[in-house]
Amino acid sequence: MKTMRRTILASVVLLLALALPAQEEITIRIREGMPMIPVALPAFQLDAAARGSAEAAAVYETLWQDLEFSRIFKMVPREHYAYIPAFRPDAIRFKDWASIQANILVSGQLELADDDRLIFSFKVYEVAGERFIFGRNFGGKKDLARLIAHRAADEMLKHFGERPLFTSKIAYVRESGNDRDIYIMDYDGQRPTRITFSNALDMLPSWSADNEKILYTSYRNLSPELFMFDLYSGRTGLISSGGSNYAADWSPTGDRIVYTSSKHGNAEIYLRDMKTGQEKRLTFNPAIDTSPCWSPSGREIAFTSQRGGTPQIYVMDAEGSNVRRITLEGSYHDSPAWSPDGMRLAFVSRIENRFDIYVYNLKSNELSKLTENAGRNENPSWSPDGRHLVFSSNRGGRYQLYLVDYDGRNVRQLTRDGENKMPKWQKPSR
Amino acid sequence: MKKWMLAALALSLVLMFPACAKKAAKVEPAQGPAVEQVEEPTAKVEKPVLSEEELFQQKSLEELNKDQVLKKINFDFDMYTIREDMKPILQANANWLLKFPTVEVLVEGHCDERGTIEYNIALGEKRAEAAKNYLVSLGMSPAKVKIISYGKSKPLVQGVDEATYFQNRRAEFVITKK
Repeated sequence: MKTMRRTILASVVLLLALALPAQEEITIRIREGMPMIPVALPAFQLDAAARGSAEAAAVYETLWQDLEFSRIFKMVPREHYAYIPAFRPDAIRFKDWASIQANILVSGQLELADDDRLIFSFKVYEVAGERFIFGRNFGGKKDLARLIAHRAADEMLKHFGERPLFTSKIAYVRESGNDRDIYIMDYDGQRPTRITFSNALDMLPSWSADNEKILYTSYRNLSPELFMFDLYSGRTGLISSGGSNYAADWSPTGDRIVYTSSKHGNAEIYLRDMKTGQEKRLTFNPAIDTSPCWSPSGREIAFTSQRGGTPQIYVMDAEGSNVRRITLEGSYHDSPAWSPDGMRLAFVSRIENRFDIYVYNLKSNELSKLTENAGRNENPSWSPDGRHLVFSSNRGGRYQLYLVDYDGRNVRQLTRDGENKMPKWQKPSR
Repeated sequence: MKKWMLAALALSLVLMFPACAKKAAKVEPAQGPAVEQVEEPTAKVEKPVLSEEELFQQKSLEELNKDQVLKKINFDFDMYTIREDMKPILQANANWLLKFPTVEVLVEGHCDERGTIEYNIALGEKRAEAAKNYLVSLGMSPAKVKIISYGKSKPLVQGVDEATYFQNRRAEFVITKK
């Protein structure tokens, strides 16, 4: 009992410790200033023969990791479950779960049918109110256990008013020898799938607004051209050629793209209507203009320009007018990425030959550093919910992909084999 | 006593000589014939030194590029202006190119690894363009010079020191047609 009290005290202190730094982030969405919701996830129920126990373990671990990653939920440590009687779905003792600080209780049940398909059912309870909140059943092939868990975790997010995150994908470039190809994988680095098969450099992938197409640059015709790959039809189309064509970003409204091209001699930013194919040049000066990126409203475009002598981040209206400079200090900034809530710009800065990722708050004009003294860190890309970023870093020797939370916490490595770069997280689903 | 004996021996040898000489002619000489030296006079044949034109005609594109008849130039950090010490190299490249007006060349712009991927594509392109413009200023036809940027995708050498970075910040000249 004494141990238990100490544990409870410890978790209250932990809760406060986690809540305090979060309150410093005043301008971020309200949820980020709130304490995370403690969730208990007891082991899943199986049938009498305990069939599907391997799949149940996969769903359980994936669901646990997703919820813990969310920054919305906070998992009550498993060791605490030992202080109370085991979970029984037919007789839930909410007071016990309240005693170990759980606000939300998630129960799961997994069946493995004769055709090797899984049925995963989960139910979500509010502990204090001692009531059932919602539940869902998911069925699928047994090798989709992880996806089923991600779907369940997304339902949790949606129920708590958040955007789905865990079924989102990350496109990236994987390098082996002289070949580079585009791959996509789950947000947690699992289930990588190769997308392009050219023997040339394929690079800088970027998702369409509906997440069904990928724009990328390929040297397959011996010059950097912009291509579009349709994930579900399998078709590849040439979008722009002549000079270098790269760094494309699809507008949130889905009808236009911006990209960099030197088709008329100098690196400039172009706006292209994807239905009519009509193009409009947005920048006009002899310096380098590149890395365009839409604001989530679709009204503005952030980009990099060297017009002031060094590469700096600028913002212009989507028609190319009203250009204003965002970065005022430092001599090298690039790869702007606009957060889904429109409030922040992440970018790469080189300061004393260190490349780190910074987040600039457009409302408060505050600049914060996300990565610290660990190799070169490049190509930041926001998660659809705006709470996380993926980036590439050579901190471990070779370039690999890493995740970090919006406030620099919870850095974790996603890829380990070969060399992996240029990640782009899927766009928020509309 | 010795003297008269020696004299008698000598006399007897002299008396025996004709008979001896006849006999010796049938025996092979102890030393054999003299060694005749066999030599072949060096032919006055020389491989002709090919003129630059003849070499050019003879070599394939791959060989010309492998021999680096056109030398690469390097750039300063973050810069795409032509360094003073690189101008003689470009002059030599231009001299060679002007000798062979059928040649077409691809200028590849490259960067060191200390920069972002997107910006380095643009920077590499600026370097290739600067090299091309310099060749054109020396009389090269702009139609014969194409440019491409690889950004930092194709470093020449691996390493993390300034000497390595310097080697990687470069424009290379690839002959694409002769």
